[in-house]
Amino acid sequence: MASVTIYSTDGCPFCAKAKSFLADRGISYEEIDVQPGSSAWKEMKEKTGSGSLPQILIGDEPVGGYSDLVHLEATGELSHKLGLAEEGEVAPLYDVIIIGGGPAGLSAAVYAARKVLKTLFVSKDIGGQVAWTYDVDNYLGFSQVETADLIAKFEEHVEKYGVEKLVGVEVKALELTGKIKKVITDDGKTYLTKTLIIATGKRPRSLNVPGEKELIGMGVTYCSTCDAPLFADLDVAVMGGGNSALEAVIDLMKVARKIYMVSLTPITGDEIIRDKVISSPKVEIFIKYKALRIAGEATVEGIEIESLETGEKKRLDVQGIMVEIGLLPNSELVLDTMEINRIGEIVIDSRCRTGVAGIFACGDVTDVPYKQVIVAAGEGAKAALSAYDYIIKQR
Amino acid sequence: MSEKVRVYATPGCPYCKMAKEFLSKKGVPFTAYDVKKDKEALKEMKRISGGALRVPVISVCNEVMVGFDRGRLEQALSCLEQSSEIE
Repeated sequence: MASVTIYSTDGCPFCAKAKSFLADRGISYEEIDVQPGSSAWKEMKEKTGSGSLPQILIGDEPVGGYSDLVHLEATGELSHKLGLAEEGEVAPLYDVIIIGGGPAGLSAAVYAARKVLKTLFVSKDIGGQVAWTYDVDNYLGFSQVETADLIAKFEEHVEKYGVEKLVGVEVKALELTGKIKKVITDDGKTYLTKTLIIATGKRPRSLNVPGEKELIGMGVTYCSTCDAPLFADLDVAVMGGGNSALEAVIDLMKVARKIYMVSLTPITGDEIIRDKVISSPKVEIFIKYKALRIAGEATVEGIEIESLETGEKKRLDVQGIMVEIGLLPNSELVLDTMEINRIGEIVIDSRCRTGVAGIFACGDVTDVPYKQVIVAAGEGAKAALSAYDYIIKQR
Repeated sequence: MSEKVRVYATPGCPYCKMAKEFLSKKGVPFTAYDVKKDKEALKEMKRISGGALRVPVISVCNEVMVGFDRGRLEQALSCLEQSSEIE
């Protein structure tokens, strides 16, 4: 990388801007303090032909002041002059980076692209939580649509605008203190952006007991609509007492041999479906029981549960465990940086602002009520427009 | 079985459908099994995956993946290019 020299002085606003411009992009520089008439000033005039501050040199070439730096970056010449164009060592500066591939993130990508923002879309998958249900009946314009088809349509729409996408990549850390934000991914790369839209959604809550993580996919599952048919002629425990747990039991009643329903609380959920479950001879219900651990070497062999009332322990010999105990927001990345409500959701205002300048959030990771595909898509649009407004005002 | 890419799926599983669409879009030929109906395929799926009870199970060359992870699947597919070069 070519060396960068900056002639500057205290109390000069454009000197400060030029220095933070360089620092934000991880470009190191040598700073030479200049007083008018000093020898450093004479040296600067000789090298650059100009007496105004700041003056910046890349190698021996004078490139001008702060506005020239901005211009050089906009034309792509800056990394070229630094000798980094081919290696791509200087990360480009995005207007917006969107994290999360559900309806909120995808909708934000469409709106950002239509505002001609330089956009990067980062997500470990496409679809988000909506992909856990088989079909959607209440998205405007589609009286009934298979989830996979709806997501494919969303993705096609984003692709039409040529948004730069990183799919299969997880964000490991965020640096949000400077005006330029940094997004660090699990492959060790850093991306720079003026604004950030967090659309990371929710994930199924886990039991958090020994054996659970190790046996995911080997009997432990969180997607009953996907996996229920695999438990044909097996014994299964369904953990949870709400509607999703009841629906999992209904799915299993058609195929499984024996179903245990284990809930911390009395069974809630709709009466019709509850009665169906309770009256089934295949189903045995344990109320006010908690999970202690899941047993099994390569696959699930059983689960140990304990009564909250009597402390009595029981082991259920099952080959499958369906966990249906609700959802957790994926807000860990910003837990310490912004306001989070008591259930872990990011608190936003009516414009999807988080309270941290330049950071917006949308969809199920936020405290916006009514977690619906259409609400998430609308919120994504708002977040992108809000990010656009922020960028315009910064200029 | 000679197929290089196999997808074991259930009809109610959006991730299975997404995996199949991903492969189709890439122009990768594959054989799909509905393990809800096809008990032999379910047995085979459990055998090759060491007892997995989660779909999709995707096998590519000699690798077996439980779940649809685009990045991992994409990487696994590189074995197809290598073998066609040798052929």
